[in-house]
This record gives sequence, structure tokens and C-alpha cells, in this order.
Amino acid sequence: MTRPGPPDTGAGPAVERYLAEVTARLPGPARARAGIVAELRSGLMDAADAHRSAGVPPARAAGTAIREFGAPAQIADAFRAEIAASQARRVAVILLATGPLVGLLWVAAAAASHLGIRLSQPWHWTGLSPVLHLVAVAIGVTACAALVGIATTGRLTRWLPAWPRGAPMAAAVAGFGAMGADGLGLALLAGQLATAPGRLSPALAAAAAVASLARLMLAGRSTRRCLAIRASLA
Amino acid sequence: MRAETLKGHLDGILLAVLEPEPRHGYAIMEALRVRSGGHVDLPTGTVYPALHRLERAGLVQASWSAAAGRRRRVYQLTPAGRRALDTERSTWQDFSAAVTALLQPAPPVMSSP
Repeated sequence: MTRPGPPDTGAGPAVERYLAEVTARLPGPARARAGIVAELRSGLMDAADAHRSAGVPPARAAGTAIREFGAPAQIADAFRAEIAASQARRVAVILLATGPLVGLLWVAAAAASHLGIRLSQPWHWTGLSPVLHLVAVAIGVTACAALVGIATTGRLTRWLPAWPRGAPMAAAVAGFGAMGADGLGLALLAGQLATAPGRLSPALAAAAAVASLARLMLAGRSTRRCLAIRASLA
Repeated sequence: MRAETLKGHLDGILLAVLEPEPRHGYAIMEALRVRSGGHVDLPTGTVYPALHRLERAGLVQASWSAAAGRRRRVYQLTPAGRRALDTERSTWQDFSAAVTALLQPAPPVMSSP
């Protein structure tokens, strides 16, 4: 979507009041709402202009355009499902794209540290493996849920039945999965630091930890948003 | 015609209105009114979410353009949108031909002299 640019001015107080009422009912980040409101504003201004050209007194033209536009709640309701879908899609794409990058950092960190581990005492592999299984499950859940989120918000919507609450849920599940995978990775690292800090490759382990921490926070915020948007859908 | 009557056909109608040329929201609404002979009279604001849905489905594509000091979001059909319109059109023609035939008063039974 191309950017709307700075908002038009001169729409008049009645139009701005109406748009504020619509905005107040829209969920999601300010950026998503700004584009929608800019588009509605230009539509209302066009309609008011047309009424003026047709002979409606200028003072009443904006009011007539607003009345024809529909109640703020009606417009906001219709947009809410759209915002939910586009937000869910965004979150799913981001989680799916960042997963392999963070994963690669962990694999690199583990491989670089592994050499040292293998040369040392027989290590906690017995204790480690169930946690790694959990990480694998979390990664699988994230990937599957993100793919569902992407599939149900794109071109396939032409053929799929409408399922407005599904995509935000899928994105939220992907968010929980990502939080699980990254959280477990960080926990493993913490355990390693506590038991055998000398075996770690410091630069790669630090890079993986920072990446996971950033993704953990991003996933947390996105999940909260997706659940809030989902709750706002009737 | 009210929004409920149009439900299920709005997507096809919007695609048809965009077929001749790209249009922005208000121009789409105007075209709807004119082409339907004033019969389609939706709350104008409701076309915008419908257009966003079509955009997400890849049937139209939108871009901001500025003309006469006002920025407008202009929509145009994608190739997939044209194909969807063709499908919508033939489905509707079959459906309306069948319903028209069914709703017509039955011809009087010819009695032989």
C-alpha cells in the first residue's frame, strides 16, 4: 500500500468530527488507521464538492455528504475486519520471516560452542534433549499458525468463506509459538551460562540472545494486539 | 436497492464499475448510482471497506494519486480481477436467465379449435 502522505486540510469541522468518531472505533496501530481516514476524508470532500456543484448551499453540503456516508459505527465495523486481517497477515509474515534468521544464529552459536562442549566432560545432553524437543514443537506451531494466518488473509480469500476471527487467532498462536521458541532458547542459554559459561562462543551466543530477546518482545506485543483486535470483532 | 439486497453481489458490481477505467472511491460511488439508474443507493462509506477487501484478495490494486490539490486512493482491476469479473458475469447471467424464466407468468394454455 502506498503512503497517503500528509492529511488534506480544509475538510471542515463537521467532516473532521465525523472522521474522529470513525477513528475512535477503529482498532489497530495508528498507521493503519491514518491511511483509512485519509481515504475517507478525500471521499467526503469529493461528495461535499459534488453537492455544492449541484446547488446545495455550502453550509449544508458537508452535512449531506456525511449523512449519505453512513453512521460512523457502520463504517468502523466494516473496516474492523479488514484491519484485523491485514494486521494478522503482517504479524504472521514477520514471525515467519524472522524465525529462520534467529534460528540460524542459534545453530551457529551452538555449533561454534559445541566444539568446546564435545572436547569437555560428557555434557547435559540427556537433560537438554527434551527441551530441544519443546523448541522444535514451538517452531512447528509458529510456522503452521503463521502459514494459516497468511493463507486466510491473501488471495485465497477469494475462495475461502469469510472467517474474520480466524486470522487474528492464527497470528496470535504463531506469536505464542515464537515466544515459546525464543523463551526456551534464552532459558537454555541461561542454563548454559550458569553451569558452563566457558564453553560458549561469546559473540555468537550474545548475538543469538539479543535476536531472540528482540523477537520475544515483538511477538509479545503483536500477540497482544492480535488478541485485542480479535476481541473487538463482533 | 438496499445494502442487504445487494449483499453477495457487491464485489462483482464494484469490479464491473472498475472495468472501463481506474476510479477513486467517490467516482466509484457515482458510477454505481449512474449505471444503476439511481437504484443502487448504499451508504457511500461502505464501498471503502469492500474495496480494501478486494485489494487484499488481489482483485484490485490501489495507489494514491494527487489531482487538483487532493490526494485520492485510485483503484484498478488486476488481471485476476478481470477474470473474477468474467466468472461473476456468466454466473449471474445463468442465474438471472433461470430466475426470469421461472418468475414469468405461465403462457395461457392454447385450446385447439
